[in-house]
Amino acid sequence: MSIYGDSTKASSGTNYLTHTRGFLSWALTLDHKRIGVMYLVSVLTAFFFAGMAAMALRLELIAPGEWFLSQDNYNQMFTVHGALMVFLVLIPAVPAAMGNFVLPIMLGAKDVAFPRLNLFSYWLWVTGALFFVLALLTGGLDTGWTFYTPYSIEGDDHMSGAMGGVIPALTGAFVLGFSSIFTGLNFIVTIHRLRPPGMTWFRMPLFLWAIYATAIIQVMATPILGITLALLIVERAFGIGIFNPALGGDPVLYQHFFWFYSHPAVYIMILPGMGIISELISVHSHKHIFGYRFIAFSSVAIAIFGFLVWGHHMFTSGQSPLMNIMFSAITFSVSIPSAIKVFNWLATLYKGSISLNTPMLYALSFLFIFTIGGLTGLHLGTLATDIHLHDTYFVVAHFHYVMMGSAMIAMFGGLHHWWPKITGRMYNETLGRIACGLVFFGFNATFFTQFILGSKGMPRRYADYSAELMGAENFEIFHFWHFWSTIGSFVMALGFFLMLGYLVHSMFKGRQAPDNPWGGGSLEWQCSSPPPHDNFSEPPTVGDCYDYSMLEWDEKIQGYHRREEAATSGE
Amino acid sequence: MMTPASFISMLALAAGSPPMGPFGMPEQASTIAAEIDFVYQVITWVCIFFFVLIVFLIVVFVIKYSKPPGTKAEGTATHNTPLEVAWTVIPLILVIGIFYVGMKGYINMRNAPLGAYEINVIARQWSWQFNYPNGATISELKVPRGRDIKLIMSSQDVLHSLFIPSFRVKQDVVPGRLVTLWFNATHEGEYDLYCAEYCGQQHSTMLTKVLVLEEDEFARQIEEDRVFMDMLPPDRLYVAGPRLYARCKSCHSLDGSTMTGPTWKGLWEKTVSGETVFTDGTTLKDLIGEGKMFMNPEDYIMQSIANPQQKIVMNFTGAMPTFQGMLSPLEVMALTDFMKNLDKFDEKGVPKDPEDELQRVIDKAKEAEESSN
Ligand code: HEC
Ligand SMILES: [Cu+2]
Ligand SMILES: [Cu+2]
Repeated sequence: MSIYGDSTKASSGTNYLTHTRGFLSWALTLDHKRIGVMYLVSVLTAFFFAGMAAMALRLELIAPGEWFLSQDNYNQMFTVHGALMVFLVLIPAVPAAMGNFVLPIMLGAKDVAFPRLNLFSYWLWVTGALFFVLALLTGGLDTGWTFYTPYSIEGDDHMSGAMGGVIPALTGAFVLGFSSIFTGLNFIVTIHRLRPPGMTWFRMPLFLWAIYATAIIQVMATPILGITLALLIVERAFGIGIFNPALGGDPVLYQHFFWFYSHPAVYIMILPGMGIISELISVHSHKHIFGYRFIAFSSVAIAIFGFLVWGHHMFTSGQSPLMNIMFSAITFSVSIPSAIKVFNWLATLYKGSISLNTPMLYALSFLFIFTIGGLTGLHLGTLATDIHLHDTYFVVAHFHYVMMGSAMIAMFGGLHHWWPKITGRMYNETLGRIACGLVFFGFNATFFTQFILGSKGMPRRYADYSAELMGAENFEIFHFWHFWSTIGSFVMALGFFLMLGYLVHSMFKGRQAPDNPWGGGSLEWQCSSPPPHDNFSEPPTVGDCYDYSMLEWDEKIQGYHRREEAATSGE
Repeated sequence: MMTPASFISMLALAAGSPPMGPFGMPEQASTIAAEIDFVYQVITWVCIFFFVLIVFLIVVFVIKYSKPPGTKAEGTATHNTPLEVAWTVIPLILVIGIFYVGMKGYINMRNAPLGAYEINVIARQWSWQFNYPNGATISELKVPRGRDIKLIMSSQDVLHSLFIPSFRVKQDVVPGRLVTLWFNATHEGEYDLYCAEYCGQQHSTMLTKVLVLEEDEFARQIEEDRVFMDMLPPDRLYVAGPRLYARCKSCHSLDGSTMTGPTWKGLWEKTVSGETVFTDGTTLKDLIGEGKMFMNPEDYIMQSIANPQQKIVMNFTGAMPTFQGMLSPLEVMALTDFMKNLDKFDEKGVPKDPEDELQRVIDKAKEAEESSN
């Protein structure tokens, strides 16, 4: 029994982790917290495999020649990396994993609106993942995660690449799409129906606004992906001409369909991350978030504009110049809400009382990286420069700054922020900071170099760069920057392994977490760590969740408590 | 008056070395490159400004406001509408400006000038083919310097994308459509041409060169590219082998190693003895002869090139595209002759005897022609 045990575990003896036991009590649970934890473990497992694929790619590119992976292996590897990261990791990471755990508690609710649907979403995720495994067992695929036609339609005999896994992989993505739709639907209804009395729309934590905007995209855009993938399966299996010009189809139509989902999907990945950052920056600065309404509306604005800009992925595809110009113009409109958020976060830091805890370090890393990722979007939204940069490493660097450097960093920030709540334990703060530093520097070394590669003209998805085929000067430049990019990726991997180490360690040996280790004002910090099975023993009081004036630091429990509590619990 | 700067730039022009682009962009070797780079530079400076501003503020705030736990924040207002409107409107104005310069640059690079010199481009897994108005067909892109060039492109199989970094041009080549691209090269020299759209196994080897030549030299080479086959002595057609082989080398090796297709080392011997086995279990021996599928070994090679799907060699796939109509009968004969005479070449296809170099043979033929006139 920990010395902190009694003062923190105010309510009953059991929590959601110890409430019931056994495999089935998890596999068939309707508890949003357990489902969130299962998502978390599953998503991180997929992240591990997709990350290993990325390391294999980087290792191959450290030197010219096919010294580590053959061309076929390389092509399959980047397909696996992309498909896993997008469909299994990025899309569910924040909404399904973090959102599931946090959202109902933030609302002071006992659970989401449809707990059974929630469990069903999770098992759909598992089914989708199994289809991906099946795709690898049936010969793999090398289409890239984008499945561009007509390459993805033609059979093994026309291409020497691997194609057996295309239909299983498409089916997997299709199923995962439904998992995402159901999660979105569930959250929309939960936010509409289960807010406690007193929590008006503009009193919701900003994370919930972000999740809400995300859920709208999930529900509205994902069906398009489902239809597109289904058409592709039909075309591939039965030879019906839809996207294949040899059968009278149109490959550019496929790109329109694909990006009509996949551009908004970018916001499914980044918006919830932005929501996390709004929480982290305010809580760890112990200061009211600045410009609440602008941040909330900018989430909604991003969700809406996000539907209108898909054509910026297709500036060189052969779509008409007029369309290109229109898509370019609308694309710039998305940059404004993002800029608003960054400035509001900065203003929140101003005159705050900043604690450089591990979650805050992730939030600051996010600010740095997202600024670069967002600004380099200007090069790509601009027509004249995008023509040169499209399909080069510049694009690879840009979207990794936004997906990996922003969405995933935010997710890890959130993980460290809510870890005490999820597990009831504190991790080693020093190791946490070191790991964050390794990830931050490793990440920038890996991907900043790729902006330079791309400007110089290095095309993406190249298994090799060779002195025989390229001009000597270009070859030298590519070799140099590829080398440093690979070194960076190893530093980043080291950071992640360290993180894995201390997080696992903390589950067994970590200090008992206080209910409110960081001084957060939203409702999840009012229930115990870890929360009881039904979250709140008595209905929580709802106030301004960004008002920290009532929270007092308590040296004894190494955490915060509310001033009115302080009066009663003073033993 | 000639200033030193303009003198130096004249020298540079004369020496034919194009200026480097700013911020890591490649050399500027086309008429539009400088304008695109200007846009690139403007955007990059805007980025640097905001990046430095934001990171500076983060660092200052973190240093200044880092406090031990429990310290209450000094605090500010929770919002400030004029301020927030300001940081909405200022970026808005900036991005409208960026959009506008970007659009102008794009329109200039999109609309091909009238009267441009037209070259047909055929993309296929995994090679480029350039067809000239005079009938020449080559696998490197040769263009005259200072002339507007329009590429009219089509793909035989999947998506490809023609990308010349030094010219700042890129266009996806979409099967079932004709797409165009134009440029005007400003400096003589050799530039890289990449396939930028993923197109399968050997996407990363689908590269070739752009050769920018002076007008006269261009005209001479292109004419020679058209007629060189006719100038070869009929008993030494194989000297054209290495050049024609350039289109096959992404899949066929000369050194015995297996790539996408069977190696050509020993191919001729294997064909004559008829030991080749196909995926349907048949053997070449049983298919060669009067009234059978193939009249003789030469016919087998010819049909393998024109109609590769007809019989697939065991342990391979039908990955070979047809070359029907892309190689003249004479060129097919030259390739067959090359396979028969592989011992005259090393493993990279370089002739062992300098007398077998294509250029030398052509020059000799020309000399002979001139002296007979
Ligand atoms: C995209 C890859 C690719 C390219 C390019 C290619 N081939 Fe092939 N080739 C193959 C494959 C695969 C096979 C074996 C399957 C078959 O029999 O069609 C093959 C088979 C052959 C054969 C029969 C070999 C045997 O063992 O009987 C000949 C002859 C041939 N190719 C000639 C050529 C020539 C000439 C060119 C260039 C003009 C060329 N190929 C370009 C892939 C290619
Ligand atoms: Cu996009
Ligand atoms: Cu390609």
